[in-house]
Amino acid sequence: MTELDAVIHAPARLRVVSTLATLPHDDEIAFPKLQKLLDMTAGNLSTHLRKLEEAGYVRVAKTFAGRRPVTYLALTTSGRRAFEDYTAALTDLLKGARA
Amino acid sequence: MNDLDPAASLRMIRESQEQARTGTEPDVRLLYLVWGIAWAVGYTVLWTSARGAGGAPSGPGFAVFFALLGVATAITIVHTVRRSAGTRGPSTRAGAMYGWSWMLGFLAYPFIISGVARAGASDEVIGLIANALACVIVGLMYLAGGALFCDSGVFVLGLWILLVGGVATVAGIPGSYLLLATAGGGGFLVMAVLAHVVQRRRRAALGEGGTADD
Repeated sequence: MTELDAVIHAPARLRVVSTLATLPHDDEIAFPKLQKLLDMTAGNLSTHLRKLEEAGYVRVAKTFAGRRPVTYLALTTSGRRAFEDYTAALTDLLKGARA
Repeated sequence: MNDLDPAASLRMIRESQEQARTGTEPDVRLLYLVWGIAWAVGYTVLWTSARGAGGAPSGPGFAVFFALLGVATAITIVHTVRRSAGTRGPSTRAGAMYGWSWMLGFLAYPFIISGVARAGASDEVIGLIANALACVIVGLMYLAGGALFCDSGVFVLGLWILLVGGVATVAGIPGSYLLLATAGGGGFLVMAVLAHVVQRRRRAALGEGGTADD
């Protein structure tokens, strides 16, 4: 049985990682925009982002837009790789289930 | 809900990604539709007006035409800026530069037309150059857009608009206006329909996983 990455294999974090994976390489998304796309509360999203950051999957950049602090997020290289491995594992599991 | 089965997980991935793209990329169907209407109606007005006056379109004809272009430009800018807001990086920058290229092309446009007019060009010559130059700018911008976004549909549209510009100039005044209205505006409208069909198919393929969340 293929082991699924526990960091990604939870509904909320799976949605976060899938969304971040659509960004072109080296692009980043602002926290409020990500929150809007996912329709999650700020607190909930922060919690999951922290877990992803601790796993080294998400990179967080804090900057200022004028005086307002803005947080930008993106998948790290290992985050992108983990997501690809995860989807590959899922596909394998599905094939196994159908065989 | 912590026990995600593989099929549900894959479906969730596809849905999140579709939602993310919808929220960050402009809806090209809207843009093609808006520009298709602006060209089809705007150039038809100019054609009718030019035929009636036996040469150059009237002032009110141009007023309607520029009002339509103004509305289409405003919708395009507001829509694309809204969709791309909240992202940054190389591809966002590339998109912004592409947007500015349109602006810069059409910033030079009125100077060229008024310069030609001041040099003594007849109404007919001014009309032909105005139409041809618009087609050249739009056509080349779509060719560049096709290359930038790796979208062959956009590239073909660019090719088509360039072709329309060439044929329209040979057709003369007032036929040039009619060609831009039908073949030019029609080109945008066909693209709007094609983009809609492609999107419907993609959504349908998404739904194959089993949810009717769309």
